[in-house]
Amino acid sequence: MRNVWAQRGLVRWVFIGAAALALAACDAEVSEQQRGNGEGTIELAEFPDRPYWGDTHLHTDLSGDAFGFGVRLGSEEALRFASGEVVESTFGVEAQLDRPLDFLVISDHSDGLGAFKRIYDAPRMLISDPVIKRWHDMMHESPEQSLRAAGEIIDRAASNDFPAAMAEGREETTRNSWHQQIDVIDKFNKPGVFTAMGGFEWTLMPGGNNMHRVVMFRDGGDRTKQVLPFPGFGNTSSQLWDYMDAYAANTGGQVLAIPHNPNLSNGMMFELTMPDGTPMTAEYARRRASAEPVVEVTQIKGDSETHPFLSPNDEFAGFGIKGWDKANLNTEIATTSDMYGGSYAREALKRGLTLEEQTGVNPYAFGMIGSTDSHTAFATGDEDNFYGKHSSVEPVNQDRANQPQNLGTREGRFGWNYLAGGYAAAWARGNTRAEIFDAFKRREVYATTGPRMVVRMFGGFDFSAADWDGDWVRKGYETGVPMGGELVDQGSAPSFMISAQKDPDGANLDRVQVVKGWVDANGNTQERIYDVVWSDMDKRTRTGGKVPAVGDTVDRASATYTNDIGAAQLRSVWSDPDYQSGQGAFYYLRVLEIPTPRWTLFDAVRFGIDLSADAMADAVAQERAYSSPIWLKTVGSDRSEAQ
Amino acid sequence: MNLPTWTREPLVHFLIGGALLFGWFTWQGSPVDPASRSIIVDRDTLGSISAGFEQQMGRFPSDTELDNLIERHIREEVLYREALRLGMDQDDAVIRRRLAQKMDLVAGSQAELLEPSDEVLTKWLAEHPARFAQDPLYSFEQLGFVQRTTADAALKTEDLASRLETAAPTMELPKAVSGMSRQEIQTRFGQQFVRELDQLEPGDQWQGPVPSGLGWHLVRLQEVSAENLPALDDIRDDVESDWRLGTAANRKQQAYQLLRGAYSVEIDR
Repeated sequence: MRNVWAQRGLVRWVFIGAAALALAACDAEVSEQQRGNGEGTIELAEFPDRPYWGDTHLHTDLSGDAFGFGVRLGSEEALRFASGEVVESTFGVEAQLDRPLDFLVISDHSDGLGAFKRIYDAPRMLISDPVIKRWHDMMHESPEQSLRAAGEIIDRAASNDFPAAMAEGREETTRNSWHQQIDVIDKFNKPGVFTAMGGFEWTLMPGGNNMHRVVMFRDGGDRTKQVLPFPGFGNTSSQLWDYMDAYAANTGGQVLAIPHNPNLSNGMMFELTMPDGTPMTAEYARRRASAEPVVEVTQIKGDSETHPFLSPNDEFAGFGIKGWDKANLNTEIATTSDMYGGSYAREALKRGLTLEEQTGVNPYAFGMIGSTDSHTAFATGDEDNFYGKHSSVEPVNQDRANQPQNLGTREGRFGWNYLAGGYAAAWARGNTRAEIFDAFKRREVYATTGPRMVVRMFGGFDFSAADWDGDWVRKGYETGVPMGGELVDQGSAPSFMISAQKDPDGANLDRVQVVKGWVDANGNTQERIYDVVWSDMDKRTRTGGKVPAVGDTVDRASATYTNDIGAAQLRSVWSDPDYQSGQGAFYYLRVLEIPTPRWTLFDAVRFGIDLSADAMADAVAQERAYSSPIWLKTVGSDRSEAQ
Repeated sequence: MNLPTWTREPLVHFLIGGALLFGWFTWQGSPVDPASRSIIVDRDTLGSISAGFEQQMGRFPSDTELDNLIERHIREEVLYREALRLGMDQDDAVIRRRLAQKMDLVAGSQAELLEPSDEVLTKWLAEHPARFAQDPLYSFEQLGFVQRTTADAALKTEDLASRLETAAPTMELPKAVSGMSRQEIQTRFGQQFVRELDQLEPGDQWQGPVPSGLGWHLVRLQEVSAENLPALDDIRDDVESDWRLGTAANRKQQAYQLLRGAYSVEIDR
């Protein structure tokens, strides 16, 4: 008798508890403003007045691989962390960003969204598929086994070979996960304070070649709940664009896609042809340029600006390529040098000019951002707070820099090959979904490898040094175009107002460079790097055409540096000395910091471990920013407008 | 003493152990006695079945639907008891965790249901001002310098107000900042600048040079609004939800400590 009563009591308690949870969920009332795109919610500046800092590429426990790698934090924790709150990591360490971000896009893998969490949570005896049952067991057994399961899952994903049983109830799982996530994102979206955006990662990878895109919505739940994240398996990029077009047509909302890690695509991300090898059509080029205005060029899994093979005359080429330029994403297929051309952003910008000559439309007229691609739910982009690519390499794993770290079991990459991740800066008039999204759409964004440098660039035809004495930002907007914009050739060399300010809490700047690309009279693509302005120009005079190195203040024993070298601010009005009338070109900025410790050196000092010789040789780097380009278009070069 | 060899057989140990355990469980009984084959669907159970349906569908179930739900409930109950009889709840990480979560939930659930009075919330607000305080707002004018010496010289010798009027904005440093939050100032000018700014008294005079990560600033700090704690009425929802979370967490922890106190734990290291 006693037991029956006890049981009833428990049932009632649990029931009350569940009801209370439901109440609590309703409690957090989400306003219409938070659910919308932010238009008309806050007062906007006249011109974009500061860069807003964000990460457009973050995974939580809804991503199968992230979950397999051990993360147990979801969207709520991710948003709390990005907006500056203290959050306990998966392994129980309290963590907080010393500077909050302004915006965050949560981009879990659309394939199997929430499905792996479901495998984990499912009662074991209900799982009949032997493969899924094995994954379930591995996930529960130990972090090592969980990691192994994640590796298998990624491999299966690459070869599109998931157990059939996973298709059962897939749509329902996806819908539940998607809707719950959107509700949380809307709850944390606060126009003017913090922008939380919905999105997903579209994870196409034929043969392990990374063709991934981050898809980012301008809208909140009222619109995004009308669709489900689009799966990568068995689909093509054209189908993704169909999905995006349908979303815009059916909901009245807007969406864009951001390719990432072209460095792991074995040349497939920026091909000179259609995906099937036939000549590229204007229609394809136009769709691509319109759907994908921005590329993520730097993140934890390496940097995709350029490769020394492609840019032999660029002494700063090759940042963040070690370990990443040997093979594609899952190291299934080795990378050969003929593949590099389609794998790096600078070459793609050049290819875009060639394709524009051929088809009339530039498919690769993209802006550039950085992000993290963190799978820990923590959007950490700095060297001194690197939380790891995924949860099994969170900083509780003290030897992570030296360990081989591949997805799955293959050899080839080490912990120290991973970068600490980057951030995206968006020049916007205010911090709302619409303002941030629109900055991406017009490419007024830039990439950094983590530091928050303030980088401005205006292109025009009548800028001069005297403009610095007045309201130069206004002049830039009123008589020129900002980064991401297009100039039309007027028969004289374009000039650029270029301004870079160091991260106020970071390292000084070494130099600002302009990277120019063009197609010569013979139809060959060319590039040239111009050192435009650098610190201590009176002492560091060019010798043999080169600006001497800025120096190195890093103390390897303590992972510290000083700002005794470099400059806090650099600016210049620069005019293209090699301008040729009638020749189209692009110009983007690369801003270099003085050398600073990488995360590996911070790890070594913090945990008292010895880095391997290779890791130690790479323990100091010059972090950098890449602006979106400004294009100089020849008259009538873009026939897309006419059509 | 010589024991027969069979007493050393592991199998025998296992059987005896199993028999003891079986005996103990039979004597003790368990919340749902696997031995019981009588299922009573009482009014309480019917109520919660019906409420569950209502919560999901937004209406009460029809008689047929209720019959189906009862049938499903019985089926689940039968399989559940048989699963317990077979010991399927043992060594299952999911079930372990669910049960532990339920204990937590029960401990915290009282806080979820309480309607806190204004008094309780006022006290909570007073105890945790930092969570609800609005950032102080700063208004100032500034001139930026690369070198400290130039800044010092300018402060001593120049008419800074007129210099400010004619000066171009220094790079990304606005000449005048009006009502900017502490957080925003930190984002734009860095942490050091905010710390230094807090050392200054607002007034009409030019002060500095104030160092920042960007260089040296001469500053005319016009106003710093006090760290402003809004009235409870304006932020009642936020305070209440924070109170609820905090109280539930506290109760869970207290309940756990109480239970934990009754255990002795040994860890082989």
